[in-house]
Amino acid sequence: MRRLSWFNATSLSLGFAFLYLPMIILIIYSFNASKLVTVWAGFSTKWYGELFRNEAFLDAAWVTIRVAIMSSTFATILGTMAAYVLVRAGRFYGRTLFSGMIYAPLVMPEVITGLSLLLLFIGIGLDRGVVTIVLAHTTFSMCYVSVVVSSRLVTFDRSLEEAAQDLGCTPMESFRLVTLPIIAPAVLSGWLLAFTLSLDDLVIASFASGPSSTTLPIKIYSAVRLGVSPEINALSTIMIGIVTIGVVTASIMTKRAAVKQMRDEQAAERAGE
Amino acid sequence: MAQVAAQKPVFAPWDDPKQAPLIQFKNVTKRFGDFVAIDDMTIDIYEREFFALLGPSGCGKTTMMRMLAGFERPTEGQILLGGQDIDAIPPNKRSVNMMFQSYALFPHLSVWENIAFGLKRQKLPKEQIDERVNEMLRLTRLSKFAKRKPHQISGGQRQRVALARSLARAPKLLLLDEPLGALDKKLRQETQFELMDIQEKTGTTFVIVTHDQEEAMTVASRVAVMDEGVMVQVDTPAKIYEAPNSVYVADFIGDVNIIEGRAKQISDQVNIAWAEGQPSIFKGPFWISHILATYRPTMSGCHQVKPSRRRPLIRGVYRAEISLGKTKCGCHSRQPLASA
Repeated sequence: MRRLSWFNATSLSLGFAFLYLPMIILIIYSFNASKLVTVWAGFSTKWYGELFRNEAFLDAAWVTIRVAIMSSTFATILGTMAAYVLVRAGRFYGRTLFSGMIYAPLVMPEVITGLSLLLLFIGIGLDRGVVTIVLAHTTFSMCYVSVVVSSRLVTFDRSLEEAAQDLGCTPMESFRLVTLPIIAPAVLSGWLLAFTLSLDDLVIASFASGPSSTTLPIKIYSAVRLGVSPEINALSTIMIGIVTIGVVTASIMTKRAAVKQMRDEQAAERAGE
Repeated sequence: MAQVAAQKPVFAPWDDPKQAPLIQFKNVTKRFGDFVAIDDMTIDIYEREFFALLGPSGCGKTTMMRMLAGFERPTEGQILLGGQDIDAIPPNKRSVNMMFQSYALFPHLSVWENIAFGLKRQKLPKEQIDERVNEMLRLTRLSKFAKRKPHQISGGQRQRVALARSLARAPKLLLLDEPLGALDKKLRQETQFELMDIQEKTGTTFVIVTHDQEEAMTVASRVAVMDEGVMVQVDTPAKIYEAPNSVYVADFIGDVNIIEGRAKQISDQVNIAWAEGQPSIFKGPFWISHILATYRPTMSGCHQVKPSRRRPLIRGVYRAEISLGKTKCGCHSRQPLASA
């Protein structure tokens, strides 16, 4: 290991401080005994207890998780299908237009997406609630899934599908038995991306949600407008914890798989000699 | 090169008018947009043949193979397999299997599961699948590796898995797309003989695509030399080597000396005047094209000093000696010395 130079060490710590200092302060204050957010009055976990007794927060959390699971699942199915057609169908008429249009929501201002969805829901007389949030989240997260999956499909060796068909698969079977298992990691990471997008979306959800169903980000946002409470700090700390565990697990798993593959291949080369 | 083919027992269904061909291409043309990949091709391939399609890349050999597998459809003409037009039959319904250039092994399945893949699609009972897979593993000497995944075995072993997988369904026709391209030279030569052995054991018709002329000459019963969508010559390796029908074929197969001259028919022989002041060359008529004669370095005897009894055929400048396998001497004498 090389020692970092004075200059590099400084810029590294500045950068990371910039990224993580706000979160560290938030985590520290979630263990504050005082009700005043800016005054430290000793260590306590009482706000976590308070949080789990707060019905409104728990309801919102439950809605958020349900919406995230449903919308990311739908988005994954639709996004994978779209990616498959755009990568595989060759140059059909209007392909460029379609592939441009599928990525457009990525750069579309969320306010506009939210507003147009709101108009649609009102227009067709759909009551706003869990269903509309799921629909809205599916709409905007499916293009993210499609980006992730199509980048995997571009490098997918097409002869694998041909081999499957050559060995007696219908096109549908070859997708189910060969393509899907191989691109599964990309599909799964697309799902996780859609899940996190849905989990922390505020703008679109606030257009699509009704009075009966609120997601956690909306709840936090409206609570903060009335003043930051230590309960919110506790809630945010839990969310940071969940995300960190997820990211760390995923990266460890990827790393291990890569190392294993490399070792296997080296072993194979030795055996082949 | 030619020696191997010469030792084969007589197997020539293409000379027997009573034999029904397994595959028939009838005036097949394949166009991709403006590009003509296959140009009005008519060819018969017979059962138990080891048929090699040889040519530079882009000559249409892979397109031909993909049409047989069902991944491409002819623009015009018919392809018959066992007398039946296969145009409307999708790849998964054809009794044709293909070994892909990249092997296309399923990375998420073990060697055993890869070989069993096609059999499971046939909905065979489990015992039958087990038996067949084990037979294939024995045939390709892979029994030890049955549980491994494709990335856990070496390149040569992967090649054998691909072969076993494509043979497992006992197809009428096996297509091999550059099957040995990814192997190093030594392994490639071993595998060529293994392929011939397996072809003989299973009695399957093999159509192999290759750009390696040596490979085609070694393994094939007949070789089709292709150029720009046309079959220039279809013949046994020995005939292709000794009696090429064009400069293209002569030049493509092995090393060759090409001599340009004027040909004159004298009774059943041809007299070629090829250089001012040089004696003419007399040769049997069959391997002479009108103005170009070719001879193989392996057929020539080179003498550094003038041999006492025999009249020299051609005198030339000794440029280099190249060892061509078993034949020790190869002599390039493209440039005649007019006043030598």
